[in-house]
Amino acid sequence: RGPAGRAMAAAAFERRVLRRAAEHHYLRVRLELPDGGARPNAAQFKQLVVTALKELHGEVGAALPVDVLTYEEKTLSAILRVISSGFVKLWSALTLLGFYQNRRCAFRVLQTSPFLLALSGNSRELVL
Amino acid sequence: MVRFKNRDDDCEVISEDPRCRQCIEDRALGLAIRDAITRVHGDYGLACCSISFTVKYLNAYTGTVLLRCRKDSYRLLCSALPFVRSLESRAQRYPCFLNTLHVGGTIRTCQKFLIQYNTTQLLRLLQNCTNEEERQCIQKSLLSCSLTEEPSPSGDEEEDD
Repeated sequence: RGPAGRAMAAAAFERRVLRRAAEHHYLRVRLELPDGGARPNAAQFKQLVVTALKELHGEVGAALPVDVLTYEEKTLSAILRVISSGFVKLWSALTLLGFYQNRRCAFRVLQTSPFLLALSGNSRELVL
Repeated sequence: MVRFKNRDDDCEVISEDPRCRQCIEDRALGLAIRDAITRVHGDYGLACCSISFTVKYLNAYTGTVLLRCRKDSYRLLCSALPFVRSLESRAQRYPCFLNTLHVGGTIRTCQKFLIQYNTTQLLRLLQNCTNEEERQCIQKSLLSCSLTEEPSPSGDEEEDD
């Protein structure tokens, strides 16, 4: 290989792929309570999430580090942060939760992303 | 060849209450372990571990238990065993705890381990003997037991208490 070949090798770019490198996963969820009763406040909401984890995944699941970053009581929507290894456990627990204080309820997961910034825009609710 | 792989877990039931020995039975133990798995790993863990969970062998004299479960869920089972705190049978609750001795892939390996473990335990008992009569008893049982290759699956040596 002549000097041209060596120059090509020096200018070659390097690509790094990081798989599953994000430490946390973020979820935007909404709680649906079809009966118009009292809405839970932030602490009760977190208690509900931990209860859901405890029912499906036991004490180990309930000990998962889950944070409620924001919570709006009017729309019952929140942004949750969970450690990446517990993401599947959290989502499955939220899916299978059916009751809040003996009232029927359901969790709708609207967006998830390993980056918090990605939750700010939602192409589904884009108004053109 | 694709087959279902199992893990066999050798445990020892340790209790301070001497009456607990008589009430160690497979159903009570199975229920206690399932209860502990539900507490620690929830509905998902219970369903995972119960796929092929059985108490394969139980020796009430030595308190040895052999549990079997699927290979994919044996870690869930092993992590829930320290949370078994009491055994309940005939409306009596006895405090106890389980000590994991050995985890093997087949019953044969667990059996070989148990035989080895029982011989070491007998020797240790012999050293800790206080009574001359007990010493004679244990020496007699040690000398009289021998490993014969029997066609039946239980080739363990006899333990007289």
